[in-house]
Amino acid sequence: MKVSVVRGGGVAGLVTVTAVDSAALSPADADTLARMVEEAGVFGGPDVPSAESTPDEFQVSVTIEDGPRRRTVSAAEHNVPSSLRSLVAWVGSAPGRTETVG
Amino acid sequence: MSTSIPSRELLEGCSIASPDILIQIAERGSTAADRDAATTTLAASAALRARRAVVTQMVRQNLASLASLLPTSTGERNTVYNVAGGGSWQLPGTLARGQDDPGGTDVGVDQAWQGADTTYRFYSDVLQRDSIDGRGMQLVSSVHYGTAFDNAFWNGTQMVYGDGSGRIFVPGGLTAAIDVIAHELTHGVTQYTAGLAYSKQAGALNESWSDVFGSLVKQYAMSQSVDDADWLIGAGILGTAFTTNKTALRSMKAPGTANDFDRQPSNMSDYLDLPDDDDPRNDHGGVHLNSGIPNRAFYLVATALSGNAWERAGKIWFRALSQGLQSGSDFQAAAEATTAAATELFPDSSEEAGAVQAAWKEVGVL
Repeated sequence: MKVSVVRGGGVAGLVTVTAVDSAALSPADADTLARMVEEAGVFGGPDVPSAESTPDEFQVSVTIEDGPRRRTVSAAEHNVPSSLRSLVAWVGSAPGRTETVG
Repeated sequence: MSTSIPSRELLEGCSIASPDILIQIAERGSTAADRDAATTTLAASAALRARRAVVTQMVRQNLASLASLLPTSTGERNTVYNVAGGGSWQLPGTLARGQDDPGGTDVGVDQAWQGADTTYRFYSDVLQRDSIDGRGMQLVSSVHYGTAFDNAFWNGTQMVYGDGSGRIFVPGGLTAAIDVIAHELTHGVTQYTAGLAYSKQAGALNESWSDVFGSLVKQYAMSQSVDDADWLIGAGILGTAFTTNKTALRSMKAPGTANDFDRQPSNMSDYLDLPDDDDPRNDHGGVHLNSGIPNRAFYLVATALSGNAWERAGKIWFRALSQGLQSGSDFQAAAEATTAAATELFPDSSEEAGAVQAAWKEVGVL
């Protein structure tokens, strides 16, 4: 299972990608990831309605890949669904995550 | 006084009183108090969904002071709140420094307060503008937003500052940079004047005008002439993600050279025609990228006119923002608006308009 969080915009105007791959996580963390994805209800969840971004706010895209299933949810930072916030926060501090800036 | 009310689509599902009733009261209520109350209710509901669109629209219809619509109007000019790690639903947080408080307990609070005060004084002293809305609107800033949050932004009614993670921004860097603070506040000024849409060329102009006044406030605060100025935005606050070049977020003098990841163009020949979609990589059509082109145009005008950049170039740019530009303006329209502003402000001289025209030609817009 792979989860990647792409952020763009912001006052810096940069793109950052924070990603986790359960193959690179400890078994306990991989289980936590799977559970959080399940709880987020991403597969089968509703589309996020577009909300107007405010200046210098981040735009966020969260992509979850689990075998053949893949879903991307995109939203302005303040509009990220609450069901996804915990997952996004966990990915942002997970040991073994990759972070790239561009 | 005719009053235009936020569109029905913005209000549906938000309030116990139906939008229809509120709209009727706002338009035809028998007392000013009734009309104001209905209008305020409409605005407060809509603010949750589309804060910025509502505020901009209402200002344009000349409603009375918007200060009463802010979440925490205390009647003071400059206030800073500590949102203590909270997110957008916790804003603004707890009042940490009011207009007359001495501060001294939290560096981020004090820097945000000082930066807002300096920016207020710049707009008042140099441009005769009373706060963001031109009507003495209370300045609200919140610090310590989120956790290790690498960003600062204007949310339609207030400034918000993260602490930085150390990766993109050094901890505390966002409130330490006066140009970042003035950049964010200027998004508010733009919202209340030209209303430049945050998309494609209009969005790049929105970004550029924030960089211009961010830089001018810094130059004014430090009494720098165009030759003293470094023309950098966010210098010295970048973190460990930048390994070779971490000079600044952006350079107005030399777009594309400020840091390891700076891809700003400085000429229309390198304009990045990105779509405005949900993809974070496209940045609403490259608003932080293509702003390099009008940024360089301002730098060229300011240095051609020499002296202090805020005295002529800055006034030309502000007049264009408040009188010429509109929500859908493109770079061509900006060239026309700044040329017109130069002619109107300096009618007995061709030097200023000439510098403006030459600058837009140099960057490939004219």
